[in-house]
Amino acid sequence: MPLLMRRLSGSPVRTIYLTKTSLGSTGPYSEQELITALKSRDDQAFSYLYDHYSGSLYSIILQIVKRPETASDVLQEVFVNIWRKIESYDPIKGRLFTWMLNISRNASIDMLRSKNYQNSLKNQEITDTVYGSDQVTQTSIDSIGLSKFLAKLRPEQRVLIDLAYFKGYTHDEIAQIEDIPLGTVKTRIRNALLQLREDLK
Amino acid sequence: MNVQEYISSGIVESYVLGIASREDSAEFERMCAAHSEVRAARNAFELDLEETLLKQRLEPPRELKSRIFSKIGMEKNEQTPHVRPAKPTLVPRIGFARYVAAASLILLAGSVLLNLYLLNQYKKSIAQYKELVATETNVAAANQVLQTKLESYEIVLGVMKNPLMAIIKMPGVPTGPAPSGMATVYWNTSSKDVYILVNQLPKPVSDKQYQLWAIVDGKPVDAGIFDVGEGVSFVKLKTIPKAQAFAVTLEKKGGSTTPTMEAMYVMGKVTG
Repeated sequence: MPLLMRRLSGSPVRTIYLTKTSLGSTGPYSEQELITALKSRDDQAFSYLYDHYSGSLYSIILQIVKRPETASDVLQEVFVNIWRKIESYDPIKGRLFTWMLNISRNASIDMLRSKNYQNSLKNQEITDTVYGSDQVTQTSIDSIGLSKFLAKLRPEQRVLIDLAYFKGYTHDEIAQIEDIPLGTVKTRIRNALLQLREDLK
Repeated sequence: MNVQEYISSGIVESYVLGIASREDSAEFERMCAAHSEVRAARNAFELDLEETLLKQRLEPPRELKSRIFSKIGMEKNEQTPHVRPAKPTLVPRIGFARYVAAASLILLAGSVLLNLYLLNQYKKSIAQYKELVATETNVAAANQVLQTKLESYEIVLGVMKNPLMAIIKMPGVPTGPAPSGMATVYWNTSSKDVYILVNQLPKPVSDKQYQLWAIVDGKPVDAGIFDVGEGVSFVKLKTIPKAQAFAVTLEKKGGSTTPTMEAMYVMGKVTG
């Protein structure tokens, strides 16, 4: 487990840029139009989807898998899966972005747990030991999206959110890993989430 | 727990972020269906999250988009045949899967038969092709032979047509080895070149050759040796400036310095 917990970084991350988006806007498409176009396998709609969302999804993926090459592979898998599974997307259960965000997170966590990734992680550790790890990259990942929010939490909350959201452990597993009662895990995570809710508003 | 307490329990956030347990998620979906407030809370959090995350993005590698599009483009092409359903109402009793399985077996059998047929055709074609190539080679060889023959005939004809040619017929010597033999000397009166045409002479044994002699002032002068083979024998021999007669004897291979008189086959006098 300590192996997993260790913060690792890959080669430098590309430039971070900000885009102005109005609340919930999906540009030339309304959310409903975009979904309809995607379900009819419209290439243009898919191209728009990529242009509009790939940066955010890549950012989340990178925060989980840490390494740009791995993140690219996961992002590719994610978009291919979005294209394959768009039929099964149900707007009743949530917004399109939420659905894609969860596909991205799940694919990233699957990647974290894959044998290939675990093996390359060991090699990376050796490289880091020899050349020193790239702190600049780590900082830039930490300063974006949910990681930025994570940094604001109290340490005992941060560890639990990191395990739950970025590592994909269940509350039971976290209670075992951290050796604290399940109730404490639930309370701390709940409080952290409510703080996130306020931060996002 | 009333609806408001439920909304504030952190379930909205953990559901949207995907960290709620399976049971909690199922319950949340039931609550969403039942209470518009829960739906509204979820939607509000989703919008806030989406807005925040869309603002802070990292650019993925540029080539990734085209990689993804070529991948889904490939899958699209693979899937195209499945998109059109094959009138399932026409076969209501048989399950579609069975229908497909049967159809694919038929197609497979058809494909095997077609392949066997094509293989057979291919083998036949190869054999025919080889035959044609062989025939073509034979024809080319035969053509080459004819060409050579034709060229030699043209030379012969050219010589015979020449108005400067003196023609000396040499009949068989009545007391010689071939009384019915015959040969003809073509003698260019200008260049003095001598050609011999064998009309009829027996083929000699392998260690012997015919030799032409020019009789000059009563003495035999060597005019060259020649062979008698298949077809027309028409050979250019030596240049003879002056002669009263010509004769052919059979000599040892390579010729002799003096003729063997008892082996004289044909002889003819130069007229005029």
